[in-house]
This record gives sequence, C-alpha cells and structure tokens, in this order.
Amino acid sequence: MAAAVLAGAALVPTVLVPPTAAGAEQGVTVAVARPAPMDLALQDLDGRTVRPFQASEGRRAVIFLYAAVECPVSNRYAPIVQQLHETFAPQGVAFWLVYPNPFDTPAAIRAHLRDFAYPVHALRDPDHRLVALTSAQVTPEAAVFRSDRTLAYHGRIDNRFVSLGVERPSATVHDLREAIGAVLGGRPVATPSAPGVGCFIADFVP
Amino acid sequence: MRWRWARVIGLAAALSVAGVVLLGATAAGHAQPPTARPDVTFARDVAPVIYAKCGVCHRPGGSGPFSLLTYADARQHARQIATVTQRGYMPPYLADAHVSGPFMNQPRLTDAELALLARWAEEGAPEGDARATPAPPHWTEGWQLGTPDVVVSTARYTVPAGGTDVFRIFVVRVPVDGPKFVRGIEFRPGNLRVVHHANIRIDRTPGSRQFDDDDPAPGYSGLIAPGATYPDGHFLGWTPGQVPPLLPKGMAWRLEPGTDLVVELHLQPSGRAEEVETSVGFYFGSDPPERTPAMLRLGQQGIDIPAGAAGHVITDRYTLPVDVEVQAVQPHAHYRAKEMWGTAELPDGTVRPLIHIADWDFRWQHVYRYEQPFALPKGTTLVMRYTYDNSAENPRNPIVPPTRVFWGQRSVDEMGDLWVQVLTKTPDDLDRLTSEFGRKVMTEDTIGYERWLQSEPESLALHNDVASLYLKLNRPADAARHFASVVARTPDDAAAHFNLGTALTVAGDYDRAVQEYGRALTLRPAYPQAHTNLGSILLARGDTATAAAHFAAAIQLDPTNAQASYNAGVAAGRLGRYTEAVTHLQRALSVEADYTVALVELAWVRAAAPDPRARDGAAAVAAATHADALTRHRDAAVLDVLAAAQAAHGQFAAAVASADEALALGPANVAAIRLRRSLYASGRPFVIPDSGPVR
Repeated sequence: MAAAVLAGAALVPTVLVPPTAAGAEQGVTVAVARPAPMDLALQDLDGRTVRPFQASEGRRAVIFLYAAVECPVSNRYAPIVQQLHETFAPQGVAFWLVYPNPFDTPAAIRAHLRDFAYPVHALRDPDHRLVALTSAQVTPEAAVFRSDRTLAYHGRIDNRFVSLGVERPSATVHDLREAIGAVLGGRPVATPSAPGVGCFIADFVP
Repeated sequence: MRWRWARVIGLAAALSVAGVVLLGATAAGHAQPPTARPDVTFARDVAPVIYAKCGVCHRPGGSGPFSLLTYADARQHARQIATVTQRGYMPPYLADAHVSGPFMNQPRLTDAELALLARWAEEGAPEGDARATPAPPHWTEGWQLGTPDVVVSTARYTVPAGGTDVFRIFVVRVPVDGPKFVRGIEFRPGNLRVVHHANIRIDRTPGSRQFDDDDPAPGYSGLIAPGATYPDGHFLGWTPGQVPPLLPKGMAWRLEPGTDLVVELHLQPSGRAEEVETSVGFYFGSDPPERTPAMLRLGQQGIDIPAGAAGHVITDRYTLPVDVEVQAVQPHAHYRAKEMWGTAELPDGTVRPLIHIADWDFRWQHVYRYEQPFALPKGTTLVMRYTYDNSAENPRNPIVPPTRVFWGQRSVDEMGDLWVQVLTKTPDDLDRLTSEFGRKVMTEDTIGYERWLQSEPESLALHNDVASLYLKLNRPADAARHFASVVARTPDDAAAHFNLGTALTVAGDYDRAVQEYGRALTLRPAYPQAHTNLGSILLARGDTATAAAHFAAAIQLDPTNAQASYNAGVAAGRLGRYTEAVTHLQRALSVEADYTVALVELAWVRAAAPDPRARDGAAAVAAATHADALTRHRDAAVLDVLAAAQAAHGQFAAAVASADEALALGPANVAAIRLRRSLYASGRPFVIPDSGPVR
C-alpha cells in the first residue's frame, strides 16, 4: 500500500536502541524520531487549511483520533474518546478528531459529530498526510505526539477488540490512556505501537 | 478453524500465481502487460457476488452498518471486504459448510468467490465497464412476509452509549379475541444499529409478565421465565438477514388469547444513546395444525468448568424411540464455548453430522434450517459435544482471571444446548417422543434449578418451579423438600402450605398432608382447593361424612371446581345418597365435558344404583360410551361399566360383548366382571347391593 511506504519515509531514521549488554535497562527500547513538520496542513469542515501542530503550540501533548462516519467499531469508541478528552484536555492535551476517508463529506461529518457528541475539533485528511505520518491503518486509531512533535504512540485505543468479530467484554489494556499518561509524566511509552482493529482507511483518493 | 486456514492458504497460492504471470509479462517488454486472466471488475464479477451474498444486509435500510450495492460503496470498502471474507467473519454464518448443511438463507461464499473478492481489492478495485453493471435485485421494503394480521411492539427502551452488551427482555400481550393458527412471525428490529439479535418465546403463564412488572423500567433484565417456551415445537427468533418463511399448510401453531410474547433483545451499544422499539408481526392461517414438530433439547445443566480449563468438554446423547425427519438445529452456549459438534449415530453405524461450528461466537445465534430435511430411523443416537475454553487466553472470557463456572442463564455463566427440531411420522410417535424426551429434559432442568438455587437459595419462585417439575417427574419427596423450604420462609402463606400438602399427599405421607391442608385452611378458610384435597384424603381414609363436608365447602366457594364436584359425587354414592351423587357428577361434567372418571362414575350410578330414582339406562350408556371413546376402548374398568350401562338399558347382548372385551384386557377384578357377565347373559342387569360399597 502506497501510504505505508510514505509513512516509513517520513519517519526515517527510526533507530531502536537495543537493551544494554549489562541488562541494566533490560527490555526498554527508546525510539528516536524526527519531529513532525510544524506546518503539517489538514482541512477543516469548511475546506479551510488548519495546521494542528501550530494551533496546538504550547500544549503538553497532541492527540489525533481517526474516525469514520460509517465504521461501527469507530463509533463504539465515542464514549471512550469523550472520557479521555474529559480527563486530559484540562491537563494541557490537545485533541483532534481526524476523518481520513475521502468519501466522508463535511456534511456527513457534521451530523456524525452531533450524533456521537464528540467534544473535539474535527479535521479531514483526504490526502492522507497525517495518515502517512502516523502509519494509520484503520479507524479507530490514535496518534500521540509529544510537545516536541515526536511521535510517542500510534495504534489502537485499547485492547477491547482482538480482531473483527472477537471482542473482550471490556478492555484490559488501555494503550492510549497509558501513552498519554507516560508523555505527561515524561516517561518512555512502554508500547509505542499496537495495531488497531476496525475499518480499513480507504487507501485511494477519489 | 482448520478449514478456514486451508482456504486462506489456497488464496495465497492463487495470488502468487497472478503475480508471476504479471512479472513474466513485464520482462517480455509489453507496454500494457497482457494478463493470463481478464481483470476482475466490479461491473462484471464483483457486483453479482455482493448482490447475492452481502446485499440482504448491506443495502440501504438493511441491517448491515453500510451499503455495498454501488461501485462507490464497494470501492471504499474493498480492502475491508477482502479481509473480513477471508477471515470468515463475513458473511456471519458459523456453521462449517464442509461437513453440515446446506442450510436455508445461508449465503456462504465459495472458495472461488473468496479469491475473486481478494483479487479485486488487490488490483485496486477496478470498476470495469460501468454500463455492464447489472441492476441490483429488488428487496421488499417493510414487512418481508406481507402485511401482518397483528403487530405488537416492545416498549421503547434506551440503550446507553457505551459499556458492555445489554440483554433486555420485553413482555407484550398478543391482542387476539380467539384462538389463532400462526403461520409465522416477522421481527423488525426498529433500530438496526443496536439490535444484534432477538430471542423470542411465548408465555401462556403469568410468569414473564410478573418479572416484567417487578421492574419499573421498560422490559426487565434477568432470566427468561420457565413458562416462556417455543410454541408447539417451532423456533422463533431473529438474527440479521434472516426472515424465516411462513410455515406450510397444516404446520401452524396455536395461539390462545391471553398469551404473552416474550422478546429478549441482545443490544450492542453503538457509541451514542439509542432508542429501541422493536415490532413483531403475526401471520395467521385458516387451517388448524395437522403436524406438530417436536423440539428436542440436548444439553447439560450440570456444567462445572474449572478455572483456566482450556478444553473442557460437555456431551449429551439421546437415542430416538421413533423414526423422525430433522428440520432444523440451533446450538446455544455463552462466551466460553469454542467448538460445537452435533452428530447423529445411525443404527447401521454410520455417523451423520448435524452441525459443526469450529469457532463459536455467542453473538450469532442462528437457527440453522436444513434446505433438505432428512430422515433418521428409530434407534439413531443424537450426540452433542461442545468444547469450552475457560482460560485467560480466551479473549471472549467474561471473567478474567477465570473462575470456576457453572450452568446458568446469565451471560457470565455457561450453557450448552443443542436444539433439534424433528417431525414424526404419526401423532402416536409424537406422543411417545415428547413424553419420553420430556422426562429427560425435565430431569436435566431439575439439575439446573438445583444449581441455580445454590446461588439464590432464598428465591421462592425457583423452589416452587423445581418442586412442580419434581411432581411431574413423580418425585414427590424432592418436591416436598422444596415446598417445605418455601413454607419455612413464608410460614403465613396459605398457598405454600397447600403446595407442601399436595406433594406430601402424592408421597403418601397423609398425616403430614392433613396437617398442612389444615394449616392452609386456618390461614385462608375460603380456599376451595385445600378443602378438595383435604377431603380426598379423608375420603380415602373412610371418613366419608367429613370429606363430603369439605367438598361441599369447596363447591360453595367455587362451583367450577370440577374435582370437588366429582369427589362430592363419589362421597355421596358411598353414603348411599345416589340422586345427590348424580347431581354432583353432572355438575362436574358441565364444567369439564371430557372428565373421564366423572363419566365412569356417573354411568355406574345411573346403571347400578340401588335407588331406582338415580337409575337411567340411556343416560348410563351415553356416559359410558363417551368414557370408552376417550380411553380408546382399551380400559377394562370403563368397558365393565359400559357393560353394566348396556344391561341397565336392556341391551344384554351388547353388555355381554363389552364384558368379554373387558375380560380380554386382563383386568384385576376378573371374578366380579365374570359374575356380572353371567347376570347379563341371563337377561338381568347388575344392581349394587343396598348396603354394599360402590364397587
């Protein structure tokens, strides 16, 4: 898929530091990545250009949540997104909802925001600029950037869905919540990436 | 799972072949590489598959979350389509088609179709010649089975935005003014975003309504009441994309006025609060049922799965006492069941799979109806074998870390049932099958109740229900144990003492039974059933006068109590008050025309009472003939009474013949019948000696 190749290019070099031979820091790996471009440009629902990193300057972390109008798995996470926003927005965390599917029209997105009571600004990414930067595959997925715009986490919100058709009664690992907590606490994110389960982001432009 | 892997491997091989062809063509230097196969296009290849296999749900207004009918629709989901079909997640039919079925309404994708969808997505989901796209099929909007005769709706209920799945039971009275013959029902989910499936029963008892009334919100959350059953051996229920067809003529089920429809909804939160109001349409026919299926439920209620057990097996077997034709099966279990097998072991040693599910998913509770019902001969053993994974490795496990799990209706408990719907060749075969199987099911149900009571020992309803089952199973001591538990918890409840008295009566413990009935009557003097049953014991003990007084009290309180009138008739006869006996017996029969023992008693008094005012030969013959028909000419005691009636009416030859028929059946009182036969042979009727006992 073309998007995946682009994602690698944007993030190069990603250097994984192996555990030290002495084992002092056993199991801990640190990803060093180039910051995302400050002027990364997406669209708002009126077709205007929005630069979310510029707009979020001074925030302690920037969170992007990928959503799709028609994806039932993505929709089921709306209450979780509301809870995360409630917890972390007052702590200086910026939240952006991103609709990556070119077929999700501004009108449909507006209705969707209203229906699911999303408390977050919505952006469109029909050209997959952010999708490529964060290697997003499906909705729902999240990407967490530190204040220096380095990618701290990308992937699933939690582990409730094991695969399509297999779900736990409730999540036992809350990846996104833990990642945001780690970034705010200045700690390394234990699991910097976990694949999402949901609806594939349409990988073409109409 | 094994066959699914096989399918995926086959697909990978097909794709790599395509790749090789393409590379070879490029190496040869063609500008437009010719392909060995034509492109897979939506217009020509994909649209027909989607229309046939996906469109029933994935169309505007369908139960799927999005439509796939147009090229634009399908194109943006191309990768999703390829992935979910390869994984077997869609279409959502769990049954392993390689060993069981084919089943009705099961749009399974063939291996060729699976490869086609995968290749289409891989090649960029091309449209092809748009003008060649066939028109989508026409799906009926609204009621699929036509305009219903009666529609009932469940109360409006709000599903919260998030959280785990909700199970809610709604009880609705079906408004009919007389008995109806139901040819089918159609369920409409109303809100497709949250209604995942519906479990539907009918309840002819107040049980479900009581549960609903106890919960102030619309519907109730909890257990399906014991009185809520499948009607006359017919499956009800709904899963997306399935509308069971109307039943053929002669297969309808009977719906009586005052019946409640019980709808258990499995609701999945959608991410926002959702209102749900479902409706059920009823379709009536004019023909009464001629063939009634039997519903066999294999399964265990003694389920006890250790914590962490990954391959716990539950089995059950039942050998058919008659020939049957299998119509449909429905497996049922909760979240921990993994693999399910239902098989039939025929007398000749062959094994026929009924159903195999490699990876059970609680959320898809289909009824699997065979496209072609098939015969199983008498002596065939039905076998169910389910495997459960109660380890932490099972992501569906509702309790982690795992705990020991028992049988129970709550979704955190486990169940294991295989329902098998069969038709018998004759009504007699049906009677035999249902009475034999009924004992097995009731016995299993008592195990479930005992388990259930360990966690809810204070539930009076559970004690009462299981005690009633024990009475039906002729285990009165067990029934008395549970009724005594109710008495201990509600010592001032007259009904509790009455129930205990009844179980003690059946158990033969008359002394304690008399005490309990006495206590019931102290607490509630106007209790006709208690008077009736207490009188019965006194009558059996020879205290006829006291018995008669209790029967009189019962009749005064409730003239429609046929048992009281019958008993009063018997008591009056014993006391030599024959005309009074006739009055009581006639009253019993005016309430219940086919009350066999009352007919026999009346015929006997009318034929042989020493008081000539009570005798009436014609009336005696009418009553005895009716009783003989009800007992299918097979009851020696009835034939003996018929002979006496015929003799009283002057039909001595017929009387001799009836006495001979009675004797041919090997009755207990051979000597008495022979004596009476000799009277008829010499042209004389039999009359009870004035001071003697009734018979």
